[in-house]
Amino acid sequence: MASKKAAQESLTLSSVLDLNEASVLHGKLTELRGRNLKIDASQVERLGAQCVQIIVAAARAWQADKKAFVVEKSSDAFEKTLQLIGLDPNQLTAKEN
Amino acid sequence: MDMNEIKEIFFQECEEQLAELESGLLKLNDGDRDPETVNAVFRAVHSIKGGAGAFGLDDLVAFAHVFETTLDCVRSNRLEPTQDVLKVMLKSADVLADLTNAARDGGYVDEARSRSLVKELEALANGEVPAPAAKASDPVLAPAAPAPTDDGGFQPIPFSFDSFDEGEAAEDGQTYEISFRPRRELYTKGNEAALLLRDLSRIGEMSINCDAGSLPEFDKMDPEEAYFGWTIQLTTAKSEDDIRAVFEFAEWDCDLEIKAQEASATDDELPMIPVPFDLAALDEGDAASEAAPPANAAASEVVAAAETATSVSKMAAAAARVEKKEAAAASASATAAAQNAAAAAAAGQTIRVDLDRVDRLINLVGELVINQAMLSQSVIENDTTGTSSINMGLEELQQLTREIQDSVMAIRAQPVKPVFQRMSRIVREVADMVGKSIRLVTEGENTEVDKTVIDKLAEPLTHMIRNAVDHGIETPEKREAAGKDPEGTIKLTAKHRSGRIVIELVDDGAGINRERVRQKAIDNDLIAADANLTDEEIDNLIFAPGFSTADKISDISGRGVGMDVVKRSIQALGGRISISSRPGHGSTFTMSLPLTLAVLDGMVVTVAGQTLVVPLTAIVETLQPEASSIHSFGANQRLISIRNSFCPLVDVGRILNFRSSQANPVEGVALLVESEGGGQRALMVDAIQGQRQVVIKSLEANYTHVPGIAAATILGDGRVALILDVDAVVAASRGQSLKPEMSLAATG
Amino acid sequence: MKKKVLTVDDSRTIRNMLLVTLNNAGFETVQAEDGVEGLEVLEDANPDVIVTDINMPRLDGFGFIEGVRRNEKYRAVPILVLTTESDADKKNRARQAGATGWIVKPFDPAKLIDAIERVTA
Repeated sequence: MASKKAAQESLTLSSVLDLNEASVLHGKLTELRGRNLKIDASQVERLGAQCVQIIVAAARAWQADKKAFVVEKSSDAFEKTLQLIGLDPNQLTAKEN
Repeated sequence: MDMNEIKEIFFQECEEQLAELESGLLKLNDGDRDPETVNAVFRAVHSIKGGAGAFGLDDLVAFAHVFETTLDCVRSNRLEPTQDVLKVMLKSADVLADLTNAARDGGYVDEARSRSLVKELEALANGEVPAPAAKASDPVLAPAAPAPTDDGGFQPIPFSFDSFDEGEAAEDGQTYEISFRPRRELYTKGNEAALLLRDLSRIGEMSINCDAGSLPEFDKMDPEEAYFGWTIQLTTAKSEDDIRAVFEFAEWDCDLEIKAQEASATDDELPMIPVPFDLAALDEGDAASEAAPPANAAASEVVAAAETATSVSKMAAAAARVEKKEAAAASASATAAAQNAAAAAAAGQTIRVDLDRVDRLINLVGELVINQAMLSQSVIENDTTGTSSINMGLEELQQLTREIQDSVMAIRAQPVKPVFQRMSRIVREVADMVGKSIRLVTEGENTEVDKTVIDKLAEPLTHMIRNAVDHGIETPEKREAAGKDPEGTIKLTAKHRSGRIVIELVDDGAGINRERVRQKAIDNDLIAADANLTDEEIDNLIFAPGFSTADKISDISGRGVGMDVVKRSIQALGGRISISSRPGHGSTFTMSLPLTLAVLDGMVVTVAGQTLVVPLTAIVETLQPEASSIHSFGANQRLISIRNSFCPLVDVGRILNFRSSQANPVEGVALLVESEGGGQRALMVDAIQGQRQVVIKSLEANYTHVPGIAAATILGDGRVALILDVDAVVAASRGQSLKPEMSLAATG
Repeated sequence: MKKKVLTVDDSRTIRNMLLVTLNNAGFETVQAEDGVEGLEVLEDANPDVIVTDINMPRLDGFGFIEGVRRNEKYRAVPILVLTTESDADKKNRARQAGATGWIVKPFDPAKLIDAIERVTA
């Protein structure tokens, strides 16, 4: 969820990131666009490819915006799925500059 | 619950499905064309097949399959359910029932019959009109033969992806290049690319390349669209089919290409060298990317860092271990809550209860009724005013007790439908054997009666139906000659009447041939040659022991078992049977049975200081004999004249040896009873105490059989009272000794 | 956490087999007897995966699957079709209705569990 500081927002991902959650996640990220963002993925139990698509697209968007996009904490399930899908965590990262 | 219990449930369910099947087919036979009727019929067979398959009952599966295929033709309007078609189907339903029984406890199956029906069913499914000599393909149903495999209709499709005993073609495994690109539909149908990749990783060494090239800009993307695609290199000992099996559920909704790679990969292959994957590396942020090989420039030109190759086989193995552990832990902690939830969901509107439990409950309620009556009695004795609050409370208790008793009895009550349905099969089979055309019409199938009564009703009813088909209904030729419909009708009805169930069996046959019955009775020394009998008495002779109307004993209803046995079975249930017949128009058998065998409406009487209960159903009327109506006859026989006819007077006290000399009839009461053979007797008792419902207690179970006594009960004052076996007493009065086997069946 | 399975089948035999198999494998099981009941209990059951028969009274498997897919909350739940029908026609219809996968009866417990594992995380 979005929180306090304008400069540094954080978003905690839902535990189930399935088809149903895709639009929700996209909506949340859209709201946080243009701000440095820390992602907490430590609660994620299930991660579907569609939500990964959104996160990857978001990382690229933040990169283009020159805003930070960092997955700060992540669960085993989150990391496992990224591995299976053939992505490395760098692809989910954008640097502020 | 174990598999044996489930199997038992399966067979119970089969019975219900078979009943459903038959009643549906009969409805269709009567011209019902409701699609739901056809569906129900189809479902019944389908359901039997499904369960049978689960238990490996191949014969049953094979037959059900053929049957189902033909029913499917009817369901999809490719086959018109004509009378001829339905005839085949009804027979098939019978065979299905036989096969079910055979699977259950090794009952008899007419294999030739089932084989020929398989042919007929297949012919129907192939659009051939039913004919006696239907062109047949090879018999599908060979005993113990494996299910036919040609159509695959009920063959399990193997999709196992971890059967290690096959596909070990290559020692070192073969490397496949798999291109997998899901479409949106894959996700909307509940499949998930990540899971498919997980499963793929489990069957071999995998390196994967995610193609994110078509991923649009963040604000232009559709969150539910499928953008990612993958190229996978998989080295596995499994075959290509095994790999495809992973995508079994998804292959329609994705582009999938699987190519076996040459043993020596050429240099210009994509640089996707499997890199051993280290789980620990994951914990160190970007370690994985460092381990990844340099991205191929051509492939990654669209977006930088959109591709990565990672070997995930080790990780997958680790993941699998974790999941196994979780699963084991989960199964170990199967909680009561889950079971309760499941049980609650499974319960629905009915529950199945072991009959023993119900009987125990009924027994206890019986005790409660007795106890309550005893309590009432002692309160009344100590409270002459009858106004105390205890008394009022007791009345309520009495009311409640009665309601509980009724409700508990209702648990055992079941509709007569299953028994009635069995009869239609018997009519079909026997009619076929004797070359008659007969329709069975049933009415009041939902009339409920105690389960014990239902169970015990089947046999006598079967016998009567066979008789009606074999002897009652004439041949089509005879019927036509007599100006009747060549198709005979047997009507079976059930209804409740004054606290009893009345079952009527009406045929529109020739009726009782009284001349022949009479002659037969004379030949068998049942009556004197010059006996003057009413039509009714002649008709009732067919119930006399050892009487058989058929000139020659036929296979169908003969076997030396006569209507006397039927009558005895009905009487053993506390019931009565009678016949009325109109020559040329048919016969009507009427059976009246108690709704339950646990309680009985009785008249409580005193005989030589003893309290006895006489079943109310046996009593026609009670009367106070006058001296002028008593006539001596022979040595010590007496008759009583009732409305100008004479009826033998039987002193119950004398018969039961309660007293040595005959009581004076004028000082007692005569109970006019109807007994075996339709004859009436006047039973002499000393006094009538009243009428009441009593709980039957079996003497056999608690003591030993007493001749002339059917059972016992406990009265309100705690005294044990014996329930009179009226027929045994009447028989004894004829000079026959009291036979031990004459008894009311009693529960408890 | 235990995975929750909703089974929908009109056959008491199959229901019991499913119950035993799933409980033994450590799943939590909720059962319905036909499509109508299946949709009724859906919310309360909140299943991770659904196993359904095709031929059922009141509402068949096709109708049930469509009903689940129309439900905002459960449209993504994997649905396995449990049926003796293995012909392409039935399978296709089930897929069009939104089925995730299928298990061909007679199922053996391992196959059932396998299929469930395949479509669930």
